Amino acid sequence: MAVASQSIAVPVRAHHTLWGDAIVRLRRNKLAMAGLAFIILLSVVAILAPLLTPYGFADQNYNDILQGPSWKHLLGTDQLGRDTFARLIYGARTSLSVGIFTQFIVLCIGLPLGAIAGYAGGRTDNFIMRFVDVMYAFPDLLLVILLSSVFYGTKFGGSIYMLFLAIGLVAWVNISRLVRGQILSLKTRDFVSAARAMGGMGRYITWRHLLPNALGPVIVSVTFNIPRAIFTEAALSYIGIGVKPPTPSWGAMIQDGFNLIFAKPYMLLFPAIALALLMLSFTFLGDGLRDALDPKLRR
Amino acid sequence: MFRYIVKRFLWLLLVLVVVLLITFILMHLVPGGPWDREKALAPKVVAALNKRYGLDKPLWEQFVKYMWGILHGDLGTSYSYADRNVTSILLQGLPKTATLGILAFVFAQAIGIPFGMAAALKQNTAVDYASVLFSTIFASIPGFVLGILLMILLSVVLHWLPTSGWGSPQQIIMPVICLAALPAAQSARITRASTLDVMRQDYVRTARSKGLQENVVRVRHIFRNSLIPVVTVAGPELANLVTGSFIIENLFAIPGVGRLFVQGIGARDYSLIMGGVLFYAFTIAILNLAVDLLYAAIDPRIRYD
Amino acid sequence: MKPLLQVSNLTTHFDTQDGIVKAVEGVSYDVNVGETIALVGESGCGKTVSALSIVRLIAEPPGKIVSGEVFFEGADLLKLSQDEIRKVRGAKISMIFQEPLTSLNPVLTIGRQLSEGLEYHKQLSSQDAEREAINLLKMVGIPHPETRIHDYPHQFSGGMRQRVMIAIAIACKPPLVIADEPTTAVDVTIQAQLLELIKGISREYNTALILITHNLGVVARYAHRVFVMYAGKIVEYGTALEVYHRPLHPYTAGLLASVPRLDEPRKTRLLPIKDQPPDLIALPPGCAFYARCDHANDGCGSKKPVLMEVAKGHFSACWVAQKGLKPWQKKSS
Repeated sequence: MAVASQSIAVPVRAHHTLWGDAIVRLRRNKLAMAGLAFIILLSVVAILAPLLTPYGFADQNYNDILQGPSWKHLLGTDQLGRDTFARLIYGARTSLSVGIFTQFIVLCIGLPLGAIAGYAGGRTDNFIMRFVDVMYAFPDLLLVILLSSVFYGTKFGGSIYMLFLAIGLVAWVNISRLVRGQILSLKTRDFVSAARAMGGMGRYITWRHLLPNALGPVIVSVTFNIPRAIFTEAALSYIGIGVKPPTPSWGAMIQDGFNLIFAKPYMLLFPAIALALLMLSFTFLGDGLRDALDPKLRR
Repeated sequence: MFRYIVKRFLWLLLVLVVVLLITFILMHLVPGGPWDREKALAPKVVAALNKRYGLDKPLWEQFVKYMWGILHGDLGTSYSYADRNVTSILLQGLPKTATLGILAFVFAQAIGIPFGMAAALKQNTAVDYASVLFSTIFASIPGFVLGILLMILLSVVLHWLPTSGWGSPQQIIMPVICLAALPAAQSARITRASTLDVMRQDYVRTARSKGLQENVVRVRHIFRNSLIPVVTVAGPELANLVTGSFIIENLFAIPGVGRLFVQGIGARDYSLIMGGVLFYAFTIAILNLAVDLLYAAIDPRIRYD
Repeated sequence: MKPLLQVSNLTTHFDTQDGIVKAVEGVSYDVNVGETIALVGESGCGKTVSALSIVRLIAEPPGKIVSGEVFFEGADLLKLSQDEIRKVRGAKISMIFQEPLTSLNPVLTIGRQLSEGLEYHKQLSSQDAEREAINLLKMVGIPHPETRIHDYPHQFSGGMRQRVMIAIAIACKPPLVIADEPTTAVDVTIQAQLLELIKGISREYNTALILITHNLGVVARYAHRVFVMYAGKIVEYGTALEVYHRPLHPYTAGLLASVPRLDEPRKTRLLPIKDQPPDLIALPPGCAFYARCDHANDGCGSKKPVLMEVAKGHFSACWVAQKGLKPWQKKSS
């Protein structure tokens, strides 16, 4: 009673690969492209900062305090006579480096831990995951604040590297969970059994087979982590335990501007808008990446 | 079911203990102590104060004493507010923080969920695009930044609302909006995504093949299923709400727990810091547990595990 | 006698990323009261789409019922308003779907899913509906129905869920039931039981049945008439017996020949039909089966064949058959 049913053939249409498809789709996404453009623009501006403004971010000029935007000072000056535009673009360096470099720490801790937990399973998995659960229960901003206050008091206090560490040490948790989840679901798939049947060992399998497949969501997650790290830095600087002045930070600029909100609102406005735009850009990009990498969205 | 709740609760307590332990250790790693003032106090005075507050005892002893105190509801005495009980300080701030949080949460869901559903039901129309755009924007701009922008607009430029304080409706509006923006956007997004997903399911087609009216199909078949993932994200959303409230309180000078906590950090007020951490961690954990239970109530497939 | 359902020249297209898929092209078939017809063909030939088009369950973008008429109880279903077609669905024409695992709402009890149709179409009170639901479960052979109506779909096995689907379909005692591959997703042993159940109900309540399947064995046993579909068109139809013993289209013959038979020695090779079905976006100019046909003439590749009566009550859309040739039939039949 069997049947000669053949599945409908798809005639030879364009060859689609995951990454190729993804890039095409990403390019089509205007918001994501706009976000990427802004990020690149800001990065270039930040790198070229000394060329774009004659003022240093710490140059104080008591003759010119609290000035509004003018030809001399493009975006005005703050209460110590420092040029706002200069502080804004040097501050971009702080924000961008915090956003990006913390991810290295996150990946260095989160990827291996998640991969080990996922692949090894059993008690190793349990142990690592309990640890992750505890860290997860901790409100992350709180933990970062505590860590920062610890670091701030030490002689490295206020250094940006301590900030990387504080934020990175808290943010890896999400990635490890994600990687573990991916590996768990991929572990049971046929191609893993096939690799094992060919004699591949644990580490080989994890490295060459599992991780590349888990990579998609990890990339998306990292892209979303960056604005969170940027925001955390700004929030910490706002509270006073972020980077030590005179290192410029948008969060610190917000704190400074806050006291003068009624008199000189633009002092607050510029860093706030800059922060918002940067975070938006990364989020649009992250959204675009996630949609681009989702195979289910093919119409 | 009951055993499940008990197990979760015990786990919660364990986690809290570990959290407190970590906080305790970190705090004592911070150089300086509660007695740091602009002008350093004489060492003898410092020693006497330490003795009085038991800070000269070994760390493990201090911790055990603290844990014991918690079991009796005593969170210690504050170091910065002389002779005031941490518990009473926190309780003073609690109503404001709680009101802010609850209002923001309710507001967020009341806006986010219907928007998300409307966007899914009217896919690819103006409603959909607007919803996606707004939810992306508000999901990315932190409440803090939104707060600043709103403040500049509504207080400085338009003079409609005050920038700080707590009590009158005008004072509450901006903080609530700022705090609600993120969860509203997230709820909208996830409601939209999950509704779209459910709409494609076979059982929706079955429901239609029975000839049921469209709004019955929507409510009974689509919505009940699409709300499940929304409840799942409610947990992290609430966690964000809790941590977010603490920044918003600082921004709008609301005398809630968050403000007190930040001041406590600055003053190295050990007990206040510990009390604050305990408060936040406990609140998040309890809310997560509540969300899990709610999830089990909504999705019968979970109940029988 | 006038047929219960008359599908006339139905055409349904789908607008996709790669082009317009002509899923159903000018398809006509009919069902008489109490009759069981089988709609046969391989996956993707358009049989499900044609059935969904009857009750207008096609998702309107990207699908579109382009033209045709579906006459049922004196009205053209394709021209009814939304409210009117809803009254037909479930109460007059109901469907049994292929996938029991996903066709039931996971958060509603089985009882609720049974009673909601009854409450809506028959205006039963909830108690009466519940009682009827218990009856229905008994009818489809589910043990302990009184307790099971409070259970959820995930607490039932695949075969049981399909029985529930059958119960839902017959709840309002509709005159026509469309069963879309009702047994494909189920164990072989359960398949027979389910088909017996469906057929038994059809006999008892004089329900007309459209049985959509790619399983030829099923067709032989349960259907009165058979319609064979290929690439969106009907290529042959007639009584089940006729089509089986004297197929008038090379495709039907190919299907029949590819079924392994118990009465042939085991060493006989299986005979599949060569190549693949055509792309429904870019159909070839002549007969859609031309490329795979072993008996084609030159004309077959350039002119689209039309259905014509070749033997009594037996129609075929094949140029070769219409010339009276049947090279694919065994001499002995």
